[in-house]
Amino acid sequence: MTEMIIRRVGLLALILFAVSFMTFMIVNVLPGDVAAVVLGDGASPEQVHLLREKLGLNEPVLTRFVSWLGDMLRGDFGVSLLYGQPIKPMLATRLYNSLVLAFLALVLSVPVAILLGTVTAMKRGSWIDRIISSLTAVTFALPEFVKGLALILVFGIWLEVLPGSSLIEAGRHPLSQPLILVLPVLTVAIGMQPYFVQITRAGMIEAFRSDYVRTAVLKGLPPHVVALKHALRNGVLPAVAVIGMTLGNALGGLVVVETVFSYPGIGQLMVSAISARDVPIIQSTVMIVAAAYAVGNLLADIVSIALNPRLRY
Amino acid sequence: MIQQRLPTGTPIPLPDATLCVDGLSISYGAAKVVRDVTLRIAPGEAYGLIGESGSGKSTIAFSVMGYLNGGTASAGRITIAGHDILTLPDRKLRRLRGPVVSMVFQDPMNALNPSIRVGEQIAEGIRYHTGAGKAEAEARAIELIDQVKLPEPEDIVRRYPHQLSGGQQQRIVIAMALALEPALLILDEPTTGLDVTTEATILDLITEIKQRSNVALLFISHNLGVVARMCDRVGVLYAGDLIEEGPTAEVLQRPSHPYTRGLISAVPSIAGELEMVGIPGSLPDLTEVPKGCIFRARCSIAIAACGEAPVPMETVRPGHASRCLRWRDCLAELNPPQAAAVRAPLDGEKRLEIDSVIRSFPGARRLPFLKPRPAVQALRGVSLDIRAGETLAVVGESGSGKSTLGRLVAGLDRPAGGTIRFEGRDVTALSRERTVDDQRAVQFIFQNPHSALNPHHTVEEIVGRPLRLYLGLQGTELRRRIVEILRAVRLGERYMTRAPHELSGGEKQRVCIARAFAAEPRLVVCDEPTSALDISVQAAILQELQTLQRESAHRTAYMFITHDLGVVRQIADRVAVMYLGEIVELGATRDIFSRPQHPYTEALLAAVPELRPTRASRMRLQGVVPRPTNPPSGCSFHTRCPRLKGDICSQKAPPTRSKASGHAMRCHHDINTLKALQSAELENRTEPARP
Repeated sequence: MTEMIIRRVGLLALILFAVSFMTFMIVNVLPGDVAAVVLGDGASPEQVHLLREKLGLNEPVLTRFVSWLGDMLRGDFGVSLLYGQPIKPMLATRLYNSLVLAFLALVLSVPVAILLGTVTAMKRGSWIDRIISSLTAVTFALPEFVKGLALILVFGIWLEVLPGSSLIEAGRHPLSQPLILVLPVLTVAIGMQPYFVQITRAGMIEAFRSDYVRTAVLKGLPPHVVALKHALRNGVLPAVAVIGMTLGNALGGLVVVETVFSYPGIGQLMVSAISARDVPIIQSTVMIVAAAYAVGNLLADIVSIALNPRLRY
Repeated sequence: MIQQRLPTGTPIPLPDATLCVDGLSISYGAAKVVRDVTLRIAPGEAYGLIGESGSGKSTIAFSVMGYLNGGTASAGRITIAGHDILTLPDRKLRRLRGPVVSMVFQDPMNALNPSIRVGEQIAEGIRYHTGAGKAEAEARAIELIDQVKLPEPEDIVRRYPHQLSGGQQQRIVIAMALALEPALLILDEPTTGLDVTTEATILDLITEIKQRSNVALLFISHNLGVVARMCDRVGVLYAGDLIEEGPTAEVLQRPSHPYTRGLISAVPSIAGELEMVGIPGSLPDLTEVPKGCIFRARCSIAIAACGEAPVPMETVRPGHASRCLRWRDCLAELNPPQAAAVRAPLDGEKRLEIDSVIRSFPGARRLPFLKPRPAVQALRGVSLDIRAGETLAVVGESGSGKSTLGRLVAGLDRPAGGTIRFEGRDVTALSRERTVDDQRAVQFIFQNPHSALNPHHTVEEIVGRPLRLYLGLQGTELRRRIVEILRAVRLGERYMTRAPHELSGGEKQRVCIARAFAAEPRLVVCDEPTSALDISVQAAILQELQTLQRESAHRTAYMFITHDLGVVRQIADRVAVMYLGEIVELGATRDIFSRPQHPYTEALLAAVPELRPTRASRMRLQGVVPRPTNPPSGCSFHTRCPRLKGDICSQKAPPTRSKASGHAMRCHHDINTLKALQSAELENRTEPARP
């Protein structure tokens, strides 16, 4: 087990290196001069040239990559072109805010999804299965911003019980204003839900069809013991793997939700950086999302192994 | 609603029977898979239910547990120890599962929950049904594990199923079934899929359980040998009808139904006196059950009256009944089985020569700086040759390396050392590195026909491919040849347009054989080609393989990999017995099956449950096959050998001994000592073999 974790961490470093290389290349090879964009239309060629010099853009691309990677490994993420401030503290706050959002959404949706997946698998083909399955299909089909706007419309504008905007005042902790979190968390949770439910349902259906569940039934165990003890443990394994992947996905996928609710998370930072061509921030946020994705996968594998003795060697 | 109906059969009056099944009919949708079945099992009695796949025997077994799984019991009644199973509400039925009736399943690997420790899987039923506490239930689980003869029960309870061997897993399932001392124990193919040596020890365990308790056994099996060894009475099912019933010895020795007779003739025997014969035709469509005898369409002695009215059970002798109008003519009119042709080694040119072949599978690498896991030594210096027109059987338990050897010969894998020569040419390479002619000349028939055919191709495309690729046939010539080959494997022209999913298991394997023979091979590696098939189909396929070999212009040689010694006896000229990646004995079939043999061969033969009583040794192998990552020193069989000579066995590699020309075995005992040891054991046995 420890051996596997060490190996996976090594692999993780390798993946992150590949990601950093690709991101750097894509951003730097794209047409359009960063310096010109930063300075705006009115800039003279001399000014552009000076800025290029200052940003080191005249160096060969590989040299720039190595020095950027070196800086990042030392914890120096560079300076934002747009704000002229070091990126690191900005990144830390934003990442923290996003993690709060993603984590709350996950905590809310996983138990609900496992419950719904199990119920629909047990009552397969019944009206309860059909209602839940069609509802999840509908929510899956709706884009995040539609779900977000619908929630704002209902709770923010008609009922006026929750704020429609989730701006956090500078320096305040997101949990200090729990009300502003409700709608974004709900939107993300509803977005994750269908996927989890379907995978749990499929896993549980397979578990219920298995010989070992038949053994449990023929041992005379009551249905709830068969479902919770025998089927669930094996049936949620595929869902666990997906949930881990979703954690990483969620951070990247928060872009839309954070934008809709003006929530100061890493996704929103990435979007604003992209429109401003703030290259250092784009690179840093992409790296953070990639790292989150890889770590999420690793965590999912570890949980899978903990649940599945066949993988424990 | 369940109708009450009088059984049409003639059940033996057993007022105190543990299990009473009366007029049971079960359907799945429109298919009436079980019809009007009546049977009784007395306390302490073992009743065998035999029949091929689709006969409804497992359906009956599960319905006795009250588990219909989507089916409906349209008529009849099942009573176990006074409980009317089919009318009970779920809650009450649950109370019976375990304490009154329990089941041992086929395929223990899947029957046990992979993520729960085996001790808990035994204990949970005890806790639920008796209200025992955790510690008490676990103590009982340990006791049960001890009773099914697993070593170190305190350690075993903490294991997960994947940490046990197949035989050990089945012992756990048996312990689980016995936990609450049920009145009726159902065994559904309990040894199918296990090695023959493991099967023998599991059957011994079940016999012992039967002797020390008064439990009634319902034994479901397609293996007549197993039923002959285990059961007092036997019922024969065909397509949902109970067609014959009686005392085991009587039914199996003097069958009074053409189907029973056919089943028995299809069994390959290690005694090898009689030729096995398949049953032509296939199961009828059970959505529209014909009015008369259900077996009529496949019966060679059917008369007009057979199709006119339902055939009643007729008493042959007291306690022996047959659902056949012509049971009196059964023995006289059906062709008596013919003596099997004696096969002897051939002295044609050497077609395949394998010399000191080694193959090991390197262990998974752990971390860059740690040593990798030990390698699995699948083949440790194997040498043999096969002559033109010859069939060489390779036998051994799972993990002996026999399939690996087949894959090397076929070029599906590459050896780590040694050479493989085909017709004198070195072909020690993967198939794609061989010449086109060598690729064509060596063909492979796989164990599982269900996954060996491309589901998106028609039979015509499958069989036509080697013809186009290797022989360059096209157009009408191609078509003519495909039809010809399909006819040779007894599939007509109408099969051309079928897709694999429209074929039965036997038909699929015939297509695989047709594909292999389309290439006009000179050597065919057959890896357990019939182990996934019913015995009646197996007999027919083996016959066809032999006919194809006899008629082939190239004197095709077979390398026949199997674990079934009965099959070996019937089709092989020579036999190689493998253990842990080595050949321990090699020789003409008659020399392998006659005493004295290598102790491992002897144990393999002793383990085969035979249909007809034999004076065979009762030798049993204890313990599990050692890990192929670290084979034992000296003679690799010494850890399990019942004829251990002494320390020399673990210290020195055994010398090669020979009792006849072309025969070789590796043992520290000399031939005469082995002969004396084997005869002594047979004479010392006071009790006769089971009647």
